[in-house]
Amino acid sequence: MPEKTSSKRIRMPVSTYRIIRAILGVLFGGYLLWRLYKVFIGSPIYGPETWIRFALAGVILGSVYALIAIGYTLVYGILFMINFAHGDIMMLGAFGGYFIFEAFKSIPSPTPANPDLTFLNAHPVLSVVLAFVIGMIIAAVSGYFLEKIAYRPLRGAPRLVPLISAIGASIFLENAGQLLFGAQRRDYANPAILTRGSGWTIPVGDSNVILTYTGVVTFVLSVLIMLTLFILVQRTRLGRAMRAVAENKSVAALMGINVDRVISLTFIISGAMAGAAGVMWGIHLGLVYYFVGFVPGIKAFTAAVLGGIGNIPGAMLGGMFLGIVEAVGPPILGIDFQLKDVIAFGILVLILIFRPSGILGEVLSEEKV
Amino acid sequence: MNTHIRNGINAGITFGIVMIFLFLIGFTSTAAELISDLIKLKGETVILGLTAPMFNLIIFLTIIGTWAGAYGSRKVRDEPDTWKLSLLAATLAGLVNGVLIAILAYIVGDMTVAGLKLYKYLTAVLPGVVNLFLLDQTPLGGAIFHLIFFSVTGLMGGVLGRGVGRGDWRKRFSIWWNEVWSKFNRKSAVQRVRTNPITRYVLYGLLLLIVFLLPLRIGQYWNYTLGTVGIYVLLGLGLNIVVGLAGLLDLGYVAFFAIGAYSVALLTAPEPHHLLWSFWVALPIGIALAALAGILLGIPVLRMRGDYLAIVTLGFGEIIRILSKSDLLTPFSGGPKGVINIAGPTLFGKPFSSDIDFVYLILLAVFLVIFVTLRLQNSRVGRAWEAMREDETVAQAMGINTLKHKLMAFAIGAAFAGLGGVLFASRNQFTGPEDHNLMVSINVLSVVIVGGMGSIPGVIAGAFALKGLPEVLRQLENYRVLAFGALLVVMMIVRPEGLIPTSRRRLETRTDAKVSRPERQEDDVGSDSQ
Repeated sequence: MPEKTSSKRIRMPVSTYRIIRAILGVLFGGYLLWRLYKVFIGSPIYGPETWIRFALAGVILGSVYALIAIGYTLVYGILFMINFAHGDIMMLGAFGGYFIFEAFKSIPSPTPANPDLTFLNAHPVLSVVLAFVIGMIIAAVSGYFLEKIAYRPLRGAPRLVPLISAIGASIFLENAGQLLFGAQRRDYANPAILTRGSGWTIPVGDSNVILTYTGVVTFVLSVLIMLTLFILVQRTRLGRAMRAVAENKSVAALMGINVDRVISLTFIISGAMAGAAGVMWGIHLGLVYYFVGFVPGIKAFTAAVLGGIGNIPGAMLGGMFLGIVEAVGPPILGIDFQLKDVIAFGILVLILIFRPSGILGEVLSEEKV
Repeated sequence: MNTHIRNGINAGITFGIVMIFLFLIGFTSTAAELISDLIKLKGETVILGLTAPMFNLIIFLTIIGTWAGAYGSRKVRDEPDTWKLSLLAATLAGLVNGVLIAILAYIVGDMTVAGLKLYKYLTAVLPGVVNLFLLDQTPLGGAIFHLIFFSVTGLMGGVLGRGVGRGDWRKRFSIWWNEVWSKFNRKSAVQRVRTNPITRYVLYGLLLLIVFLLPLRIGQYWNYTLGTVGIYVLLGLGLNIVVGLAGLLDLGYVAFFAIGAYSVALLTAPEPHHLLWSFWVALPIGIALAALAGILLGIPVLRMRGDYLAIVTLGFGEIIRILSKSDLLTPFSGGPKGVINIAGPTLFGKPFSSDIDFVYLILLAVFLVIFVTLRLQNSRVGRAWEAMREDETVAQAMGINTLKHKLMAFAIGAAFAGLGGVLFASRNQFTGPEDHNLMVSINVLSVVIVGGMGSIPGVIAGAFALKGLPEVLRQLENYRVLAFGALLVVMMIVRPEGLIPTSRRRLETRTDAKVSRPERQEDDVGSDSQ
C-alpha cells in the first residue's frame, strides 16, 4: 500500500524513543530471567507434573485461540479492518452447539438395557458432529450477513468508519445474545463419553496428569480445520483469489475475480471457524453466555497481532503461544491467576511497542500499523 | 416488473426477520406497553372487542406492516411507476412478511400450548408474551390472523406510500426543512440578531439563565438524570478532542474516568486509607493523575494507527478494571466491593448534599470544559489536530510535531475524563470496578459519534439523546444498549458526520456532493449522498 507509507518516520527523536524502548526491554527481560531462575532452579514451587498440566491446558486453549485468530487474520488481510464482532460470531456458534445438545438431550431413545438413555448419549459421535456443523453454519451465516449489512456499504470509507461500525455490530450481537438467551451462564451438556475432566491418565514422576477427552477433541479438530484452511488458501482457486484480493483489490477485479464474492466467502470461512471454536469452547470449558466471545475475541486478536496480522501460520503460532503463556505465565511471573487477562493484554502492548510486525510478520510491515 | 416483485419479496423477508427477532427479544410486548403510555390506554378498557394491551399491540403491528408495504412498493428507477405494480409489490411484501410471522406465531404458540418451557432457552418468550402475540387465539387462529393482517396492512402501506412522495419522503423533508431554515436565516431581523454582538450575548445569557434555573423546577429524579447527562457531556467533550479533533480512536477512555474516580475515592473516603482529604484537594489531583496516565499510555501507543490504537487502548482499559478488582490491589483500591462514603465537596461550610448542588457543580464543569474546548479548537493546537486527523503525512510535512500534538490531545481528553470521574464518584459517594467497565467507553464513543465528531453542540445533543432519552422512555431500558450498537452501524452507513456536524464537515460533504454529482441541487447534508 504505497499511499500509507508515512509511519516509517519516527515521530519522537530517534534516540529518545530507542533509549526508552531499550530500557523497558532490559528491565522486562531481566525480570523475566530472574523469575525463570527463581521458579525453576532457585526455589521451585511446582513439580514437573504441574508444569505439564499447565502446558497441556495452554496448548488446548491455544488451539481455540488460533482458530479464532485465523478469522481475524483472514479478514484483516483482505479488508485491512479489525472485525470487532468476530468474538460475538463465536458466541453465536457456541449457542448453536448448545441448542443441538439440549435438543438431543430431551429426545429419549430408550434401549432395553438402559431405559432413560437420551439421543445425546445413544449417538454421541453424531451429536458432536451435528453440534459442530450447526454451530459452524450459524456462525458462517451471521458472518455473511455481518459483512453484508455492516461492512459492505462502508468499503472505501476512511478507516475509522468501518471500525466504528464493527464495534457497533459487536455491541449489537452481544446484547441480542443477552436479550435472546438471557444473562445467565449455561452449562454445556456434553455427551457422557465426553464428560469434562475425564480422560486418559498419564503418570508423570510420582503423580498423574489427566489428558482430557474434550481437550483432545478440541486440539485434534482445530488442527484438522487449520490444515484444511491452509490447503484451501494455498492450493485451490478460491484461495488464490483470496490471496489476489488481499494483494490488490482493483487488479484482482481486473483479472476477473469477483471481489465482493471473495470477501463474502472470506467472512463465511472465518465465521465458520469462529463457530467451531465456539463449540469447542463450550465442550471443553463448559459455560456459554452472551459475553463468552468477548475476551477470547480480544485475545485471539492479540494472537493474530503476535503472529503478524495477515499471516495465517502466524495466527496459528500466535494462538498457541498466547495459550501457553497464559497458562504458565502467572506462576512464572509470580502473579495471581486472576490476572491472566492482564498478561494477554500486556503482551499485546509489548508486541506493538517492540515488534509491531509480529513474529512472522514480514508480510505486512510497520507501515500498516 | 421483476424489480418490483423482487423489492416486495425482499422487503417482506427483511421485515419478517426483523419482526421475528423483535418478538424473540420480547420487544413486541414492550412496544405495546410503550404505546399504552403514549396514548394513555391502559387497564380494563375494551375497544372493538380487544383488551387494551392487544389494541396497543395491534397499533404497533399496523405500523410495522404498513412500513413493510410502503418500503416494498418503493419507486424503482427506470421502470414505469404504475398503481398495479406498486400494489402488487406491496401485497407481496405484506404476504411474505405475514407468512414468516405466521409461521413463528404457529410454532411458538404450539410449543407453549404443548407445555414446553421455551423461556428456559429464550428468556423473553414468556407464556404471557406469546398469548398476547396470538391475541388469545389458538396457535392456528393467531397464525391465520397474522397472515391476513400483515397482507392487508402491506396493501395499505402500498396505497399510503404512493401518497407521501414514493420513497423519497426523506429527501423531500430535508429540502423543505433547509428551505424553511434558510428563509428564517435570511430574514432581516434574524440577520441583525445574529450579527449584532449585543443581542447575541443577550440570547446566550437567556439560555444560560434557563439552564441555571431549570434544576430548581424539576424534581430530584430529573436532577439526577440531568447530572448523569452532564457527566456524559464532560466525558463526550473529552473523547471528542481525542477522537473528533485528533482522530485517535480510544476505546480505553474509561480508564481515565476510573483514575479520576479512584483518586477522589481513595483520597477522601474513610476506607481503605483513611486520608479524609478535602474534595477540593482531590479534584485537581484526580485530573492531574488522569492527564499523567494519558501521557504515559500515549508515549508507547501513539505511534500506532487507527485500529491498533483502538485495541491497545481497549486492553489498557480492561487492565485497569481487572487490576482494580484483583486481590493484588484490594488493600489499595477496595477490591471488587469498591469504595464507599466518598466525600462530597463543601463550599463556605455548606456541604453539597442534594442532587441540585451537584447539578450546578456539573454544569459549571461543563461550561468550563466547553470554554476550554472552544479556545483549543480555534487555536494553533486545534488546527494542528484537525490537520492530523485529515492527513497525518501532510500535517507532518507542514511542520506539525504530530507526536507532541497527539500526546496533548490524549492528555487533555484524559483530564476531562478525570474531572468527570471525580464528579461522578463524589456524587454517587461510591465507586467500584463495575462502574468502569467497557460499556462506559462504548457509551461515550456513541455519544461522540451520534452527535457528530468534533462538534460541541453535537456532543451535548448526543448525550441528551443517548443518556437522557432512555430515562424518558423507561420501558426501553433493556433495549438501550442494543439500540446503541445498531445506531453506531446505521450512523456510519447513513450519516457518518453525526447529528450536528461541525460546519467544516458540513461544507466538506456539501462540496463533495456537488462536485461528484452535479445534477443534485438539493443541500441535504450528505445524508443520502451514497
